[in-house]
Amino acid sequence: MSKSVDLGLNVFDHQLLDSEDRRCGKVDDLELEGGPGEEFEVVAILCGPGVWRGRAGVLGRIAAWLGGGGRVRVPWSEVAEIHSHVQLGKRAEELALGSGDDRLRPYIEKIPGSDH
Amino acid sequence: MKIFQVALGILAAIGGFVDIGDLVFNVAAGATFGYQLLWVVVIGVVGIIVYSEMCGRVAAVSGKAVFDAVRERLGFKVGLVALISAQVVNLMTLTAEIGGVAICLQLLSGLSYRWMILVAGVAFAIVVWVTPFEWVERVFGYGGLCMLVFAVAAVKLHPSWGAVAHGFVPHMDTQSPLLYAYFAIGLLGAAMTPYEVYFYSSGGVEERWGPKDLGLNRVNAQIGYGLGGFLSFSLMIVGGALFLEKGVQPEFLGSIALGVEVPLGQIGLLLALVGILFAVGGASIDTLFSGAYNLAQFLGWEWGRYRHPRGAPRFTVTWLVLLVLALGAVMTGVDPVQLTEYAVIFSAVALPLTYIPIFLVANDRSYMREYTNGRLGNVLGLVYLVVIMVIALTAVPLMILTNVGQN
Amino acid sequence: MVGRMVETESGRRIGRCRDMRAIAGRGTLRVTELVVGRRGRLEHFGIGTPRGQAPDAVPWDSVVRIEGSRIVVRDGTELV
Repeated sequence: MSKSVDLGLNVFDHQLLDSEDRRCGKVDDLELEGGPGEEFEVVAILCGPGVWRGRAGVLGRIAAWLGGGGRVRVPWSEVAEIHSHVQLGKRAEELALGSGDDRLRPYIEKIPGSDH
Repeated sequence: MKIFQVALGILAAIGGFVDIGDLVFNVAAGATFGYQLLWVVVIGVVGIIVYSEMCGRVAAVSGKAVFDAVRERLGFKVGLVALISAQVVNLMTLTAEIGGVAICLQLLSGLSYRWMILVAGVAFAIVVWVTPFEWVERVFGYGGLCMLVFAVAAVKLHPSWGAVAHGFVPHMDTQSPLLYAYFAIGLLGAAMTPYEVYFYSSGGVEERWGPKDLGLNRVNAQIGYGLGGFLSFSLMIVGGALFLEKGVQPEFLGSIALGVEVPLGQIGLLLALVGILFAVGGASIDTLFSGAYNLAQFLGWEWGRYRHPRGAPRFTVTWLVLLVLALGAVMTGVDPVQLTEYAVIFSAVALPLTYIPIFLVANDRSYMREYTNGRLGNVLGLVYLVVIMVIALTAVPLMILTNVGQN
Repeated sequence: MVGRMVETESGRRIGRCRDMRAIAGRGTLRVTELVVGRRGRLEHFGIGTPRGQAPDAVPWDSVVRIEGSRIVVRDGTELV
């Protein structure tokens, strides 16, 4: 993976897929380390309603509140590849992603017919 | 065999391309202005063909549905605004459509409206939950074919075909230009309702369309919506030939169906009610899922109409919640036909937030590779963006000035 | 970073920062350039020549400091 990527164009707000191609959120923000005169690197992906606060003014804060304010930090080392989405090298549960779906699934499964 | 499948798909689609907004506005426009607004319907149909082909192409080439692309290309803030406006309009539309279904059930069964609302809601939930979605689409599509009875009725009412032909020529020849403009906006808003493109593009992604399916996409868009346009013409002609003559404003779905009884008798009435039931019912499901798609795609959740519910729990809960909200809203006793007018007008206001992102993404070379809009596509696309901006800006003022079409 | 004006130490304006370009490192993504200028904005909407085909960025190494609403780069920095 030696090609260059443009963060805003190719990474921000893109779909996250886990190692089994399961959709598990979007790149809501990136954590960068460093500054002028030194290495400037992306060290982690940040996801979750808590992350939206800074990205859309008042609406973002309301959305963050509605969503429960949780946030998940995925170290960049977990990223396997960047295509039109961001592919992760592990399963979503291992990275604490997609927990909303996992928490609701038991209730859904109780209803007959959810598995056709 | 492939041709057979395409034909089936198109047949199923015809019924699905007329929803309560088209029904109400086309008949009302006919009842008020006769055949004079037929040319506006043509503009609306071409518009939805152009843009659904664009969406379908985005889905096929980039593998992304509209709201995925909107957030990626335009960012979180713009995407959030687009999402909120889409959800508000969607919920209004869904409420109106479920109300319409309940009215049809009431007319067909004679049972109370309130109970029919519950029946409609529960029936939708069960059908969607238990039945594979392909079957759902087929059932509602074929049932919606009964709407063709309006085309038969239109012919049987012996309209002055010369006047009908004249209606296809753009002109404005009336004492009430504001009301005319209001209906024009309504017809365009109803033809290009946002949920249609969201639903269509999500389907394309789920069916894993690729560049080889671009021809199929074009055929689907052109023939499907083209035939839907044909049904819209029929509705307006029935409105003009029957209601205008008698000076009647069809304010109830029942009156619209009666428009078929006059030339075709009881059988016609029955077919009309069944057709409306399935067309509006199918549209309800499309609208419902659109709402869930938009949220799930914006937030990156799992989603899909062809998957079993446990594969996409949050998506499933979303459409269940939307359904319950809409049922609650219908239960408040709001008049579905009146609500339809508001829903269409507000859809019209939201059109730019729907179609501008699609246009931008369809031109984005990093998404679309060599399949970006061609020159004709861009010319048409831009022309319609201008039309859409005009519609969006004038919709609410016209609604106010004409007192929601009452004048 | 994005949205700030990029200027040289002597005050010459190069353009607004539109994006950051990075390449893969050891478990991280290292920022190599700042995408700058009007071309960047149009391209973001998919109009015009695709990114990276014409000079549109300044190297990260040329950034001296970031102050307030400006990104200051060394004198003599040109778009690459």
